[in-house]
Amino acid sequence: MASAANTNMNAVRETMDVLLEISRLLNTGLDMESLSICVRLCEQGINPEALSSVIKELRRASDTLKVSEFNSLSVSFIIMDQLGCFFL
Amino acid sequence: PQRHGALQVRDLDREVKNLIKHTSGIDDEEDHNFQAALKFAWSNFRFHRFLDVDSHKVQRTINGIYEKLMVHSDLSKAESWMRLSGEFLNSPLPNTEGVKTDAHHGVLALLLFLSDCPSNASFSERPRLRDAGRFDWAQYLLEGEDVDPGPFPDTPEWSEESEEEDGQQPLSREDSGIQVDRTPQEDHEHHNKSVPVAWKVGEPDARVWLEQHVVTPYWVSHAPRFPHSLHLHSNLLNVWDQHLYNTDPLYLPEEKVFVTESQVIRETLVWPGLCLLCQNFVFCLSVCCSHEFVCSFCFLQNCLRSLLEHIAAYGQAVSRLQKFVDEVTGYSPETSPPGGSSSSSSSSSSKRGSEPPFRTYQAFVWALYKYFISFKEELAAIERDLITKDETVTLMAVLESLYPHLAQIKVLHKVFCTGVADVPPGTPNVVRASHLLNTLYKAIIEYDSVGEASEQALALLFSLWVETVRPYLEIVDEWIMHGHLFDPAREFIIQRNKDVPVDHRDFWYATYTLYSVSEAVDGEEKLSDAASGSSGGEQAASSRQLTMVSFLKPVLKQVIMAGKSMQLLKNLDCKEAEQHEGPARDAERTSLYMLFLESVQSRLRRGEESPTDTVTEQQATKRSLIKMQSIVARHLELGDIHDPLLAINFARLYLEQSDFHERFSGGDIIMDRSSESVTCQTFELTLRSCLYPHIQLRYIECCGNLMRTLKKDYRLIEYLQAMRNYFLLEAGDTMYDFYTAIFDKVLEKESWQQLSFLNVQLQEAVGQRCPEDSSRLSIFLETIEPTRKKQPINNLDGLTLSYKVPWPVDIVISSECQKIYNQVFLLLLQIKWAKYSLDTLRFSVSKRFDGGHEENPPKDPVHQQIHRMFLLRVKLMHFVNSLHNYIMTRILHSTGLEFQHQVQEAKDLDQLIKIHYRYLSTIHDRCLLREKVSFVKEAIMKVLNLVLIFSDRWQAGFGAWKIESIEKMESDFKNCHMFLVTILNKAVCRGSFPHCKFDLNS
Repeated sequence: MASAANTNMNAVRETMDVLLEISRLLNTGLDMESLSICVRLCEQGINPEALSSVIKELRRASDTLKVSEFNSLSVSFIIMDQLGCFFL
Repeated sequence: PQRHGALQVRDLDREVKNLIKHTSGIDDEEDHNFQAALKFAWSNFRFHRFLDVDSHKVQRTINGIYEKLMVHSDLSKAESWMRLSGEFLNSPLPNTEGVKTDAHHGVLALLLFLSDCPSNASFSERPRLRDAGRFDWAQYLLEGEDVDPGPFPDTPEWSEESEEEDGQQPLSREDSGIQVDRTPQEDHEHHNKSVPVAWKVGEPDARVWLEQHVVTPYWVSHAPRFPHSLHLHSNLLNVWDQHLYNTDPLYLPEEKVFVTESQVIRETLVWPGLCLLCQNFVFCLSVCCSHEFVCSFCFLQNCLRSLLEHIAAYGQAVSRLQKFVDEVTGYSPETSPPGGSSSSSSSSSSKRGSEPPFRTYQAFVWALYKYFISFKEELAAIERDLITKDETVTLMAVLESLYPHLAQIKVLHKVFCTGVADVPPGTPNVVRASHLLNTLYKAIIEYDSVGEASEQALALLFSLWVETVRPYLEIVDEWIMHGHLFDPAREFIIQRNKDVPVDHRDFWYATYTLYSVSEAVDGEEKLSDAASGSSGGEQAASSRQLTMVSFLKPVLKQVIMAGKSMQLLKNLDCKEAEQHEGPARDAERTSLYMLFLESVQSRLRRGEESPTDTVTEQQATKRSLIKMQSIVARHLELGDIHDPLLAINFARLYLEQSDFHERFSGGDIIMDRSSESVTCQTFELTLRSCLYPHIQLRYIECCGNLMRTLKKDYRLIEYLQAMRNYFLLEAGDTMYDFYTAIFDKVLEKESWQQLSFLNVQLQEAVGQRCPEDSSRLSIFLETIEPTRKKQPINNLDGLTLSYKVPWPVDIVISSECQKIYNQVFLLLLQIKWAKYSLDTLRFSVSKRFDGGHEENPPKDPVHQQIHRMFLLRVKLMHFVNSLHNYIMTRILHSTGLEFQHQVQEAKDLDQLIKIHYRYLSTIHDRCLLREKVSFVKEAIMKVLNLVLIFSDRWQAGFGAWKIESIEKMESDFKNCHMFLVTILNKAVCRGSFPHCKFDLNS
C-alpha cells in the first residue's frame, strides 16, 4: 500500500517535472511553487484564462509596488545613513 | 478525490492566498495591498467571461506552437515540446484521476496563456533526475534507526571531515579563516531561483560585493530536492521535511539555508572586523531566517533573529567608530556618504593635506584603536576556542563573554556620538576639541558617581580620556615650559594673537585669546582679554557657564599665568642669556604628561598589593585592616559607640571594596585604579592630586622666576619707588626744589606756564640727585579751557608729569596708572602751593604795624583787622597743615608701606599688576579724588582757594584790606570748615571713611 502510494507520488512528481519543463519552454516565468499552486487551482476548477489574467495583473502590480518601495526604501536608507543612527 | 463545499472553498482560498503571496511577494495578509489583490483575484475567478477550456483548442494550439517552432527550425525545441506536452497529458495529476482530463488541458491552457514568446526563449531540456534512488539512500540509511534529533542547539557537530568529503576547495577568508558548512550544498536544481526574495528590493551591487568579498554565500540556498544535512541537530528538521515530502506530492522543500551555530558565532565574532558589512550581514541573516523554516521552528528563528539584530546594532556602532578611526588616520579612501554625519571628520580629513593634524582627534582615535586591538584579540581568542573545539562554544556563551565589551562599546559609541558626531561641520577645531574632552570628562564624572556598577566603563573612559588629553597637556607643557604656544591646528582653548609682539606693553593683556564655548548657544565666544586672568574676564566666564575644557578650569588661570610669564621670561632671557638655551633642553626633564601619568599610576597603585608575594600581601591586608579599624573605631567613638567588633566589620567592608582593580593600558603603562578613592568624586580628586600639583608647581616656578627677574634685572621695585618719589612727592627735597620755583614765580606774578621753564626746573631738581631719572622725567602742560581757570587754585591744572617707563616694567606701570598718579600729583601740588603760600607770608608788614602801634588801644580797627588776619591765617595754616600731614603721612606713606609689602609677596605678574592697581585706586580714593566724594574735595578746594586769595591779599599789604573781605573770608572758611566737620564726622561715625580722621578740631 505504502509503495503504491509512493509510486503514485513519484509519478505525480514526475508530472510536475514535466510541467516545469513545459513552463520553461513556454517562458511563462512560473517557478515550481507557483506552478504547483496553479495546478491545484486548475484542478479545483478555476478558469485558466482568468487565472492567467490574475497572475499577470499581480505581477504587474507587484512590480510597480516594488519600484515605489525601493524608492522609499532607498530614500530612508540615505536618511538613516545621514543621521548616522542606522540601528537595525 | 474530489472535495466539495466549504472544504473546497477553504482550500481554494488558501491556494489563492498562496498564489498572491508567491507572486506579489507580500507576506502580510493584513496588508491592504494583499487584501486588494485577494479581492481582485476572487472577483476575477468568480465573475469572468471566459469560456471553459476546450481540449481541442488546446490541442490545436499545441500543434500550432510545434509548427511555429518547426518554422523557426528550432527542431530540438519542437521535439521537446511535442514530447513533453504528450507526456504531461498522459501523466497523473495529484488530485485528479485519469489522464488527459480537463484539468490537464486547463493547466496546459494556463501555461499557454502565460507563455511569452516561446520561440525566442532559449531552452534546453534538462535531464530529469530520477531521484528515487538518491532519496532511498537516505531513507535506507535512516530506516529502522531510532533517529535522535540530538540535544538541539547545544551540540554543533560540525566537523572538518564532512567538509573534506565534499571534495570542495576549502573557502579561504583572509580575516578569520572562516569555513562554511557546505553539507547541504549538494547538487542543486534550482539555480534560477537562487536570488533570495529580500534582495529583490535592490542593491544588487551589495550582494555581488558580498559574494565576492566575504564568503561563499551559504545563505544563497542551493537547496537540494531532498535536503538532508550531516548535522545531527538538523535531523529533526530532516525528519519533518521527509514527512511532508512523503505525505504531500506537491510539497516543495522551502528555500532553506542551514546556518550552523558555529557559523553564527563566527559571524558574530567577525563583525567588528568586517564592520562595514554588518548591516548587510544582518540582512543576510534575516534573509536566511525569514525563509520559512518549518513552522515549529518559527519561534527559534525569531529568537535568533532578534538576538543577532541586537548584536548587529553593536556592530553598527563599532563600524561607525572604525570608520571614524579610518577617516582620522587617513587609512582608507573617503567612503563616507556625502553629507553624512561624519562630514565633520571627513572634512577634516579632506583638508588634511593642507592643514596641520588635529591632534586631539588623533589622540582620541589612537585610544580607540588601542581598545579595538585588545577587543579583537579577545574575539580572536574566542574564535580560536571555537576552532580547536576544546570546549563547547555556544552562541549564548559567546554573547555572555562578550557582554562587558558590548557595554563598553555602547559607552564608547555614546561618547562618540555626543562628542564627535553631533558636532556640526565647520566647527572650529578648538570647539571640537574642547567638546570632545568635555564629553569624556562629563561621562567620566557621570559614571564615576555610579560607583562600582560601571567600573569597566569608567576604566575605559578614563583611559580614553587620559589618551585624548595628551595633546592638550603637551601644548600646556610646551607653553609653560618654553613659553611657546605650539598649536598649529588651533585646538587649544587659548590662542596666541599673532599681531602683538612680545616686547609690547599690550603683550600682557592682548596676546592671548581664550576661546570658550557657551553651552547655551554652542557657539564660539571670544573673550578677548579674559586671558589676562584679571577679575573681569573671570567673572564673565563664570557667569556664562562656559564649557571650556572643564578639567583645566581649576588651573586655567595658573596655566595662563605660567604660560604668559614663561613667554615673557624667555623673551627677557633671550636678550641676556641666550646661550643657556641648549638644544637638549628637554633632555633632563620629564614632560608634564609623563609626570601626570606617573602620578596617576602611583595614585592608582596605592593600596595595590603585589600579587607575587602573598606573605607581604597578607601583611599589607592585615595592616590596612588594622589601620582601617582604628579609623573606623575613631569614627564610631565620635558617635559615642565603643564596639570593636562593629569597627572590625566596618573595616572589613571597606577593605573588600579595594579588592577590585580596574586594569587598563595607557600608553605602554598599565594603570590600575584602586578603589581606595571610590567614594565620591574620585575623578576630580585624581585630577587634583595628579595633574594640578604639577601645573601648580610649574606655575609657581615660572612666575617666581619672572617676578625675580623683573625685580632684580629690571628694577621693578625701583621704578615703583620712582613713581612715588616724583608723583607722590616722596622725594621731598627734589620736588621741593621743583615746585617752589614755580610757586615763587607765581608769587612774583611772573608767567610760569612755559614748558621750557618747567622742564628746566624739573631737570635741575632731579638731575642733581638722580641723574638717570632726569632723562625719563618730563613735564607737560595741557591747555585747559579758561572757564575752569577762574579760581586761582586751578591755575595748576594741566600740569602733568610723565615718566618714561621702559619695557617690560610698563606692563605694570602703564599710562593709565600714570594718569592716576598725575591726579594725585596735582592735588598734592595744590596743597603744597597753599601751604607754601601761607608759610611764606612775611611778618614784616605786621611787625611794622605792631612796632608803631604798640601802645594803641586794642579797639583800633586796623589793629583789630590785623589781629583777625593773624587769627585767620593761623586757622588756615592749621587746616592746610593738618590736611597736608594727613595726606602725606597717614595716607600716602602708610599705603605706600602696605603696597611695598604686598609687592614683595606678589606671586605672579598679574597679581602684581592687580596690587598696583589696587594701591592706586586706594590712594585715589583716599585723596578724595573719587567722583562720589567730590563734594568734600570741592570744599577743600574752596579752602585752598581761600588760602591763595588770603595770601594774595596779605602780600598786597594792609592798605588794600577791607574789613568786609576779611569777614567774608572768615565766614567762608567757617562755612567750609563746618561743612567738612559735619560731613566727615558723620562719615567717620558711619564708618564710610575710616581714613578721614584728620584733625579738624581747630
